[in-house]
Amino acid sequence: MNSSKWIWRSVSIVSIVTTLVLLVGFIYAIKDVNAPQVGTEAIERPSQQLGEGVADSMDSKKEYKIAAIGDSLAKGTGDETGSGFVKRSVEGLAKSSGKKTTLLNNLGINGLTTDGLVTKLDEEGVQYVLKQSDVIILSIGGNDLFQGAQLLSSAKGESETSAGAESTNSAHEVTAEKIQSALPKASAQLKVVLEKIRVINPDSYIVYVGLYNPFGDMKELKTVGNEAVTRWNNVALTTINKYENMTLVPTYDLFTHNLKRYLSSDHFHPNAEGYQQIANRIVQGIQ
Amino acid sequence: MSSILPLIKNECIKIIKKKRFYVVLLILLILVPIFTYAQMKSSELSRDKFNGDWRLELQQQITDNQNSLGSNRIPEEWKKYRLIFVQQLQYYLDHNVNPKEPNGVTFTREFMDNSISLFIPLLIMAIASDIVSGERTTGTIKMLLTRPVKRWKVLLSKMITMIMFVSLIILSTFAISYLISGAFFGYVGFNMPVFTGFQISGSNVDMSAVHAVPQWEYLLMQCGLIWFVAVTVALLAFMVSVLVKSTAASIVVMMAALIAGTILTNMASAWTSAKYLFMVNLQLTSYLAGTPAPIEGMNLNFSLIVLGIWALVSVIVSFTVFTKRDILN
Repeated sequence: MNSSKWIWRSVSIVSIVTTLVLLVGFIYAIKDVNAPQVGTEAIERPSQQLGEGVADSMDSKKEYKIAAIGDSLAKGTGDETGSGFVKRSVEGLAKSSGKKTTLLNNLGINGLTTDGLVTKLDEEGVQYVLKQSDVIILSIGGNDLFQGAQLLSSAKGESETSAGAESTNSAHEVTAEKIQSALPKASAQLKVVLEKIRVINPDSYIVYVGLYNPFGDMKELKTVGNEAVTRWNNVALTTINKYENMTLVPTYDLFTHNLKRYLSSDHFHPNAEGYQQIANRIVQGIQ
Repeated sequence: MSSILPLIKNECIKIIKKKRFYVVLLILLILVPIFTYAQMKSSELSRDKFNGDWRLELQQQITDNQNSLGSNRIPEEWKKYRLIFVQQLQYYLDHNVNPKEPNGVTFTREFMDNSISLFIPLLIMAIASDIVSGERTTGTIKMLLTRPVKRWKVLLSKMITMIMFVSLIILSTFAISYLISGAFFGYVGFNMPVFTGFQISGSNVDMSAVHAVPQWEYLLMQCGLIWFVAVTVALLAFMVSVLVKSTAASIVVMMAALIAGTILTNMASAWTSAKYLFMVNLQLTSYLAGTPAPIEGMNLNFSLIVLGIWALVSVIVSFTVFTKRDILN
């Protein structure tokens, strides 16, 4: 019966010790959840290494690191394959330049407005991504101008494209007055956005995707929409002109007479083909 | 009191010799490598996608979750979870701490976290469900009770033995998952900071009480909570084992209860009185990690009390039934 004795000894000792340790942990856990000790230690932040800080031209770069930020267009809403212009331009750029092209992050969020983006740019994680990228693709403004457009489209039977930020707009449709009134503030915010990104990463190449008018085929919105989009793009271009390494990729002309072909069924976002067209332009704009 | 120690000794040797405990170890030794391998594959995948930079991955995760917040098709309940999740991820990102740094200790922590409500109770049942009804299936209960020992002492010795083995099972789960995952991910990570103290009010996270603890301390607290859950489940299984004649039946009863629990936690929230059921309260570690409780109004103390009452009742039932009942056939 020697083995029994050995079993008993080891089992009893190990289990008693374990039980005691677990009990200590248990009591500790209760204490910690109920009365947390705050601020016991500050975590050291290792200083983040920034980009090399050399303002290379695009040609001399060995590889492209691309980040996208902005609204649902950056995210690729409406594209049946989910790629959007971001993935498409990454692929296109890799193909045409033959260099290694990586997409760092796509930070596009459905329904993001310029206001939302300004606060977003303060986030540590967002800044970290932007600091590392060689090319930043920015798409913003559509939701400022065409607020409620998502609602319009969801009434037409699409649910996927709802905007997150705008929960307040009940039953408002896109009206001429709304577009007009949104313009001054939004375009001021766009300036803030561009400047902020420039400060976060002074060396990156910023590609701003211009707006198009998704309502060009609706009588009451055609003129006012076109006007607003043009003014918007003008304001954007004025800001962009002040800086090196920034460009505006126009999309207005692409869509004006091709709405049926390039818009997805929600009548607001581009479809796969529309995104491909935008991506082609972005690739041309970078090289 | 002197007569209880030999009884416990006897029970311990029986469990070891009947190879019940080896079954538990065997299950762990087979399953943990599988999980480890799966984890390795998934982290390899994300490394390829994000240049091996966890910050990029985390940021993308935040963005994706924020995007889903906007969708109308997602139930409000999930949105709340994701909103809280996003805020926590943001906190990790802001403090430059990788919440999923791949190492053996982190794997163990997550593995223990995931196994608290089903996997560990299952292992416990391998021992607890058999401890009384097993004697009846084989008929050895008569031998046991004809000895000049009081019945309650027999039962108490079984209960103490069971609790000893509960501790051993948790220890082996920890040890095996650390040893195996460490071989893949490295044996470091005990001092890595983990944030705890997220207090959830509605869909917002109160960050004022958040503090960092080293991972070993977190693991210790976590295992302590798991131990409490495991003891409760063991006592319940013990009661069922007293009430039911065959081991198979008692395992099925407990399994049904546990699985019902996981299903209920997923749908609950509308039926608030479900929070008094023990199986909804098993996820104690979520209070530590700051994930919202399945039903509004649950917190650590509430869950502890609910589990405690269930455990107490099952102890009382076990003893009254066992001491009074006639043993036939």
